[in-house]
Amino acid sequence: MHKKSALWNLTAILMLVAMIAAACQPQATPTTAPVATEAPAATEAPAATEAPAVTGKLVAPPGGYLEKALAGEYKGTTVVVDGPFTDIDEVRFNESMKAFEEATGITVNYIGNKEFEGSISIRVDAGNAPDIADFPQPGLLASFVRQGKIVDPTTFIPLDWLKQQYNQSWLDMGTIEGPNGPQMAGVWHRFNGKSLVWYPKDDFDAAGYEIPQTWDELIALSDQIVADGDTPWCVGIESQAATGWPATDWMEDIMLRTTTPENYDKWVRGELPFTSPEVKRAAEILAGIWFKEGYVYGGRAAIVSTFFGDAPAPMFEQPPKCWLHRQGNFITGFFPEGAKAGVDYDFFYLPPIDEEYGKPFLVAGDIMAMFNDRPEVRALMEYFTVPQSASGWLSDGGALAAHKTATPDMYGVPLERGIAELVAQATTYRFDGSDLMPGVVGAGSFWKAMTDWVSGAADLDTVLAEIDASWPK
Amino acid sequence: MKSSRAQRIRGILLVNGVLLLLVLIWLIPVIGLLVSSFRDRFDIQTSPWWAIFPHRKWEVVEKIDPRAQGVDASGPMTIHGVTATFEELRAGVTTPDGQRLQWIGNRRIGTIEVQDKVWAVNWKFTLDNYKQVLQGKTFVYTREDGTVVNIPGDNFYGALLNSVAVAVPSTLIPILIAAFAAYGFAWMNFPGRRLMFVLVVALLVVPLQIALVPILRDYAALNLNGTFLAIWLAHTGFGLPLATYLLFNYISTLPRETLESAFIDGASHFTVFTRLILPLSVPALASFAIFQFLWVWNDYLVALIFLGGDRNFQVVTMRLAAIVGDRGQDWHLLTAGAFVTMVLPLIVFFSLQRYFVRGLLAGSIKG
Repeated sequence: MHKKSALWNLTAILMLVAMIAAACQPQATPTTAPVATEAPAATEAPAATEAPAVTGKLVAPPGGYLEKALAGEYKGTTVVVDGPFTDIDEVRFNESMKAFEEATGITVNYIGNKEFEGSISIRVDAGNAPDIADFPQPGLLASFVRQGKIVDPTTFIPLDWLKQQYNQSWLDMGTIEGPNGPQMAGVWHRFNGKSLVWYPKDDFDAAGYEIPQTWDELIALSDQIVADGDTPWCVGIESQAATGWPATDWMEDIMLRTTTPENYDKWVRGELPFTSPEVKRAAEILAGIWFKEGYVYGGRAAIVSTFFGDAPAPMFEQPPKCWLHRQGNFITGFFPEGAKAGVDYDFFYLPPIDEEYGKPFLVAGDIMAMFNDRPEVRALMEYFTVPQSASGWLSDGGALAAHKTATPDMYGVPLERGIAELVAQATTYRFDGSDLMPGVVGAGSFWKAMTDWVSGAADLDTVLAEIDASWPK
Repeated sequence: MKSSRAQRIRGILLVNGVLLLLVLIWLIPVIGLLVSSFRDRFDIQTSPWWAIFPHRKWEVVEKIDPRAQGVDASGPMTIHGVTATFEELRAGVTTPDGQRLQWIGNRRIGTIEVQDKVWAVNWKFTLDNYKQVLQGKTFVYTREDGTVVNIPGDNFYGALLNSVAVAVPSTLIPILIAAFAAYGFAWMNFPGRRLMFVLVVALLVVPLQIALVPILRDYAALNLNGTFLAIWLAHTGFGLPLATYLLFNYISTLPRETLESAFIDGASHFTVFTRLILPLSVPALASFAIFQFLWVWNDYLVALIFLGGDRNFQVVTMRLAAIVGDRGQDWHLLTAGAFVTMVLPLIVFFSLQRYFVRGLLAGSIKG
């Protein structure tokens, strides 16, 4: 009997603890919340001696909601933003929002989680959508636009203002077919440049290699590295359920360099089939690097099994085991701690293949889409159209601001400034095609097909035909 | 006599040996994970965990700059009395005195290493992973004016507390309800009893995923989303069919005579339930409690949907998923994170395990 009552007592205590925990949690956490705006600063500077470059003045579209918000009209309200980024990017986002929160009195509550892509659909279906969501894949956003769930920002932001803030390419990329014809799906916030090749700068210079300006020079450099006894490229496309996506980026970069932007757009829309000679040629150029004996670290077989984040690691060994790695600028987050930009690594522009297509640039970015129409939400949407809203990334690096008005001198990190300059020099740029294609293709059969082809499970013609067959009718 | 005893000992040894071997094979991944959790990021990425055992490896004793020696890397070269080509040197060439010559790097900037084979162990252990998991990562952020601030990330304690707050009621509520229901199905006569029981059992095969959106909609209407009550109710609902079925099987096998004598003595159903049924079915209750607790503790989907993305309500599984970082760059922290999350379920399991095997057999010898 005694033992039994002990068990019940234990149960009762546990239950009590749980209840108390549940009851305390909502009140207790805000003090320990990660958002910790007033984090103990390691080195607190004497109160900003000069006006910061970006947040100095907040320009608002005249007569808009941001202007009213700045006048304090929506003080005390809260806007909920959801998105896929966490960790340091979340810190950067919260820092970017500070200027807005302080100036308007509106609280921006960011709830991000890594399963955003899955959970957002459920939340929207259940009528529990956030006010604004950050979509890294316009393809996913397109389905909500079709359902009529997304508020067109041009209903309250003048088109002239948007044209002043963004390049026409971005506005075109943000226009999606809605229930009542094409509509603006949101406003662009930040983006990543993808047409970059990373290399170990100190060793590269010591070996006397030179940065290639054309594709032929790139191949010549690769041959030279092989002749010197090393493998030129590090390639890895493993990414769990998303295995294969880095291969699609390569394909898109090569497509942009071997065919017209119009053909690229058609390809993305599904009008130019994968079995067409243009796409096939791009794949063959890709194979010219990936499948060539001695070109890839670990050989063709290692490509599929190497985690894309670990792929550049051999580049940082002393001496480097591979010398070139093509990836977007976010890859620096995977570089070893302590590796210095400009010393241990640097980047160059993936050179053009066919001269007539100029210097295209592949980008991928985040679009802010609005689910709930309230004045304070409109004010925040307007804030997203100015570079200040990405100030966290501008000062700390990690991404670029999609705004035309974000000039290279706004960047606090030389690396991102260099990329911003490269992007500014680009003759055309296009959004990551697989992110624009319907999900079943862009986040499905395209990945899988590339993986099958690279691993040798199927030949090129078969996999290209498979992607075409998977395209939704 | 003696030989039969020897045979018996041999048999015992064989059985135990095989069992030990099987246990070891099962445990190897766990041991590897445990060892890895104490190694730092660089070690995890560059050497296998079994490098902690003594092994032979080549150690550099001398480095030769081939350019200073004036050797020509394009043809055969002679170093330390050994003549070899660049390709052979890259693979490593053994000298007559047991050393190895290896060309490290490419022709242009490489060096030649003279290596000795030595015994080595890699015993560089650290608690860093645990520290980062428990206290959270620190983000170094550069402000616009160039000041660098350290911003602390989420720690693990809040998530642990949240998980307890989710798991304990989500275990006890379904047990309580299911015990009542099982008693009713087993010992009370009411119309539609069979049909209702069949319905409950049929619910066992309904996957909970199909219920997510409808429930979320109802919760949105009731304004319950993102509260603990929501997830308690959800887990209760998802756990009830199995709980009822399991407890029914056990309770219905209790000797009828005991109950009848209690009724003759004038006991009500409630008295019988609290005084007789509950104490007698502790093994079944405990084994279901283990099931349900482990399931709720390890649950990710239900918590993600009903608690939402709000990190004040993050449970350990969500925290663990977030720990690897946006793009999985910090996956080495998963090792330590896995062991931290394992602690409480292990305590629950070992404190209730003596009921477990008995409970698993619950109802299996009904007849």
